Amino acid sequence: MDVSHLSIREINSLFTKKEIKPSELYSKVFENAANSEAALHAHLTLFEEENIKKAAEADKRFSNSESASLLDGIPIAIKDNINIKNYKTTCSSKMLSNYTSPYDATVIEKLKQQNTLFTGKTNLDEFAMGSSTENSAFGLTKNPWNTDYVPGGSSGGSAASVGARSSIAALGSDTGGSIRQPASFCGLVGFKPTYGTVSRFGLVAFASSLDQIGPITKTVDDSRIIFSSISGEDSRDATSVINNQLDIPSDNTATIGVIKELMEDGISGEAKNEVNKVIEILKSKGYKVKEISIPIIKLSISIYYLIAPAECSANLARFDGVRYGLRVDGNTSYEMMENTRAEGFGAEVKRRILLGTYALSAGYYDEYYGKALQARKEMIDEFAKTFKDVDYLISPTTPTQAFKSGEKTSNPLEMYMSDLCTIPANLAGLPAISIPTGLSKDELPLGVQIMSKPLSDNSLLDFSEIIENEVQFDGQPKGWL
Amino acid sequence: MSLKPTIGIETHIELNTNTKMFCRCAVVDTDEPNISLCPTCIGLPGALPVPNKKAIEFITLLALSTGCEITSKGMFHRKNYFYPDLPKNYQISQFDLPVGLNGELEIVIDENKDYIQIERVHMEEDTGKSSHSGSGRIESATSTALDFNRSGVPLVEIVTKPVISSSKQAVAYIEELRQLSIDLNISEGRLEKGNLRFDANISVALEDSNELGTKVEIKNMNSLRSLERAIDFEIQRQTKALEDGVEIVQETRHWDENKEVTSTMRSKEGSADYRYFSDPDLPNMFLSDEFIKEVETLMPLLPKAQREELMTTGLSLSQSNILSKSDDWIKKLYVKVFDQTKDSVASYNWITGELQGQMRKANIEVLPEWFNDDYLSEIIELIKSNKISFTSAKIILTEILTAETTPSKVAEQKNLFQENDSEKISEMINQIIKENQDIVDRIKSGEDKLVGFLVGQLMKQSNGSVNPGMAKELLLKELEG
Repeated sequence: MDVSHLSIREINSLFTKKEIKPSELYSKVFENAANSEAALHAHLTLFEEENIKKAAEADKRFSNSESASLLDGIPIAIKDNINIKNYKTTCSSKMLSNYTSPYDATVIEKLKQQNTLFTGKTNLDEFAMGSSTENSAFGLTKNPWNTDYVPGGSSGGSAASVGARSSIAALGSDTGGSIRQPASFCGLVGFKPTYGTVSRFGLVAFASSLDQIGPITKTVDDSRIIFSSISGEDSRDATSVINNQLDIPSDNTATIGVIKELMEDGISGEAKNEVNKVIEILKSKGYKVKEISIPIIKLSISIYYLIAPAECSANLARFDGVRYGLRVDGNTSYEMMENTRAEGFGAEVKRRILLGTYALSAGYYDEYYGKALQARKEMIDEFAKTFKDVDYLISPTTPTQAFKSGEKTSNPLEMYMSDLCTIPANLAGLPAISIPTGLSKDELPLGVQIMSKPLSDNSLLDFSEIIENEVQFDGQPKGWL
Repeated sequence: MSLKPTIGIETHIELNTNTKMFCRCAVVDTDEPNISLCPTCIGLPGALPVPNKKAIEFITLLALSTGCEITSKGMFHRKNYFYPDLPKNYQISQFDLPVGLNGELEIVIDENKDYIQIERVHMEEDTGKSSHSGSGRIESATSTALDFNRSGVPLVEIVTKPVISSSKQAVAYIEELRQLSIDLNISEGRLEKGNLRFDANISVALEDSNELGTKVEIKNMNSLRSLERAIDFEIQRQTKALEDGVEIVQETRHWDENKEVTSTMRSKEGSADYRYFSDPDLPNMFLSDEFIKEVETLMPLLPKAQREELMTTGLSLSQSNILSKSDDWIKKLYVKVFDQTKDSVASYNWITGELQGQMRKANIEVLPEWFNDDYLSEIIELIKSNKISFTSAKIILTEILTAETTPSKVAEQKNLFQENDSEKISEMINQIIKENQDIVDRIKSGEDKLVGFLVGQLMKQSNGSVNPGMAKELLLKELEG
């Protein structure tokens, strides 16, 4: 029996009823990976052998009715910028191609406690910098719906893995849309929780004030299950917060705001149609929907491309060939560091380090980084004001459907624009989710994004589930399954 | 040409916390390299810093004790520069929002008080340690060994305003700061271990000029001798240059202990761009009023107040200063002995002179267990009541430092009690006169010096038990009569 298309709760129920064993599902996802990996390249490493024993242990727990966790025996793929002890963490960079982590990220510790089975490490844009998973030192990942197209990025490997059912769910990281955009491109749910609710300890930092780990799943409920397992205050992450969830209404007493600035130029008709389709459904169910305007959203990309590179210029300074990772020799230690960084980093990473270094330089700080911080603060204030009037904000997740591989690689600015709708949630620390709602005329998935105020993640998931049930998106990528 | 030097000092004090500043690794005192490390303090990918509350408490204590204004909303910044022993290639430090601002420290030179203005007190993390072989400098080393035990150890940096005008003042300032850190119990204050390290900024300008001259920084000294000599050398060098019309270059210089000269390390230090920005891993640090109040309760009697108290016993400022900078047991012993004898000069002289002198000679660091605080008072009282001579008192002290006994027991056993009975002494004098008639004749004919010989004879015959003052007085009377 193939259950790889089912949700976590459905699978758990079958495990509990002993209708299928975890090890059978485990074999099935690796069979799926074997069928799709050559064409998609979702994974950098697959752990099949290592975890067979763990799958057998899961079998035993269910056969003895000793399992207490919804995630017990569920095969999950992990983006390769999250550390799993004794496994490689490459961040898809030549710099870390030989690096093995000696410790577990907090999210990994938590999933291990739930007896999750890790299937492998997924491909990403190098150090999570990119929107197409084309910036990987180890080859690009393709969209399971159509291999001419990108899966999105930077968590493109995670999305492709779940899309091809090589895993039941996956963890990604989202700095400017890196979970939501690939989820949308691959017809999946992608959830970026409130900044600070999920520990970043063990996530290789790109831009620390924006990075957040979250799930890519087939259903909203799957995201809810994973979020509740990986969230919580962590004494090892000073930016983590106590997950005291606000309760806001998800039923039709809620008010929905449509962000005017994300329904204008630069957004395709198809993307707008999906939003309008959902608005009509909500209206018909009695929700109050109104258009709102947050003009500063138009500055999102400018703000983001100062703050994220500035932080990354310092975060990536540690990769110097001294203690671990790639080392390219030189005549002096400084020459060694220069040679290592010149050879170890790809073009996009270098571009952002240079951009960030420049933005922080004496004489330019006030003009660039300082102004970006100020604008970011204004944006946070604007969102706070908006959430006094509305409970949820709706917009497209991406301006267009997935684009073709190679289409935007020569034009970084155009590539950056594909994160227009997702970046604001990172800048403001909001929870945001992408839900698949339909297909484009090219038969590629489209999604809508819902945002809500910080620490209302659970309500956001409840509300999203209502939309999910109403929309009844049942598209499946063909050919792999 | 009348010239005046101006000096500012930056001091790093290593705090004696149990664990490092941003991780839970133990602070260790060992030559064995790399034994106290974790992902955070060696900058592994994904590791995060979490501030050490104790270290912040210590820094606040130092800031309060120097009368600084406390910045309640302090912030951690990243100071970016590449160096192999700096694992993240940025140092977590403080920039425009340090813990303390605008303080003052009272120093003492001889019998005069002076006040050194403090610009700021801030926290930073220490780097690892590099050992270069083949050369003292990384640029020309054939290899460099790195020890990260020190990496992440908390440091507090205290920066003075440019208000110091001589090496003598500079030394007095460091002595005061060292004692303060010991009394606050925030540092071992051991210079030889590098617990305190200082950089001096030195410039020379025309006496009547309102502007400072071009400053030269001498880096990384850890002894008072180096500080004093380096400052003196640099003042002389700059003075001569100005007199000869040679331009002084703004640069960092290195003090060569052996050659006793400063030499150029690197020039244009002023233009180094550290690209400070607030560390996104460490959200704003709030020092609440309650926290500050709590820290205030930990405040001990500061050296300045100790001096004031000691002066009320009759000691001079310089004596009080020396005691305030002595080990705790010495201060306590002084108070006890003074309380008992009410003789500040005798108490001070016996403790700082004879007692410490004999201990040094005998290589004893702590008083023996049996050494009762009352013994010194007893000795002082015995001298004052003429029961023993000063010489005997020294012998008694030696005895009680080496064996378990008491002053009066020693005096009795060694027959050190003085003969104070004038009749008995006169009898002995008569005997001596009889035996040395020739000497007496010579004295009478003008050889006064020989009186001493007779006193000596008297002391010899009495086994030193005669009160020498009385003996001399009675002898002179007898000779005259």
